[in-house]
Amino acid sequence: MELTPKVQFLGLTFDVTVMIGTLISATVVFLLSLWATRRLQMRPHGRQVVMEMLVDFCRGITRMTYDDERTAEKYLAITVTLFLFILVANELGVLLMVVADVHEPIPWLGLTEEALKEAHGVSWLKSPTADLNVTLAMAVAVALYSHYAGIRANVKNYLRHYMSPLLPIHLVEEFSKPLTHAMRLWANIFAGEILITVLLMSYPLITGAPLLVWMGFSLFVGVIQAYIFTVLANVYISQKIAH
Amino acid sequence: MEIKFLTAGIMVALAAFAAALGNSWLFSKYVEGAFRQPEVRGSLFTQLMILFGLVEALPIIAVGLGILVFFGVL
Repeated sequence: MELTPKVQFLGLTFDVTVMIGTLISATVVFLLSLWATRRLQMRPHGRQVVMEMLVDFCRGITRMTYDDERTAEKYLAITVTLFLFILVANELGVLLMVVADVHEPIPWLGLTEEALKEAHGVSWLKSPTADLNVTLAMAVAVALYSHYAGIRANVKNYLRHYMSPLLPIHLVEEFSKPLTHAMRLWANIFAGEILITVLLMSYPLITGAPLLVWMGFSLFVGVIQAYIFTVLANVYISQKIAH
Repeated sequence: MEIKFLTAGIMVALAAFAAALGNSWLFSKYVEGAFRQPEVRGSLFTQLMILFGLVEALPIIAVGLGILVFFGVL
């Protein structure tokens, strides 16, 4: 499997591919949103139409999940953010994966001699969501935010939720929901990237049409998994504020 | 022939079998429903995509873990 360069800072290990990938995804989403919302008009045409279609799509997600329209508008911002960021991050690995062969060890990046011997190459850019840490961070953030939203909505209902006889099952759910939430997104993108790498490595034999078909399917899966992550994030938030 | 290759093979094979069964049930119900009521095809398709993502989740988690076992990381 590919080695990734890692940087140590204050005792924590930072993965350089994740940092570059997240920076690129965030910058692309930011610039796209900035470009699409210049000179807003009441009758949109051109790039404003695309942005309005995206926001309406996310408004459909929130309207489907929450009961009344005021809460649906309240959680529109986090829905659009999650959807756009995860969409760009998923497609980054299909469009722009960079794997290099490093011949001299670079110790300050964690590419030592014995690690270089075992690995097949060094990857410098891949999807940030192909790293379990990124998806776990997003899922845990959504879980913590759902608790915060539940407390802010109605403290008594939130505390009464803990005195039901199903408490052990709810406690297990608190761990399993973020875990499956994260691993679903991670495993889809990771498996897609591994298969792209395998198809590229078997160069004389089965590259060409299978690679194109798989890259098309991976683009499709990226969109679907971004949608699923966003829908489930809204469902988990609504489960805490609904009691 | 280490045990990790056999383990990874079994994990991915069972995941493929489960994903194939689950997806075939789901998509056959969608086709049947769309055939009976063509006017709800659009909203049924939205539900289909959500449920496809959910059904494929655990098999593909098994595939992800199988890949990690195959490369000796897990």
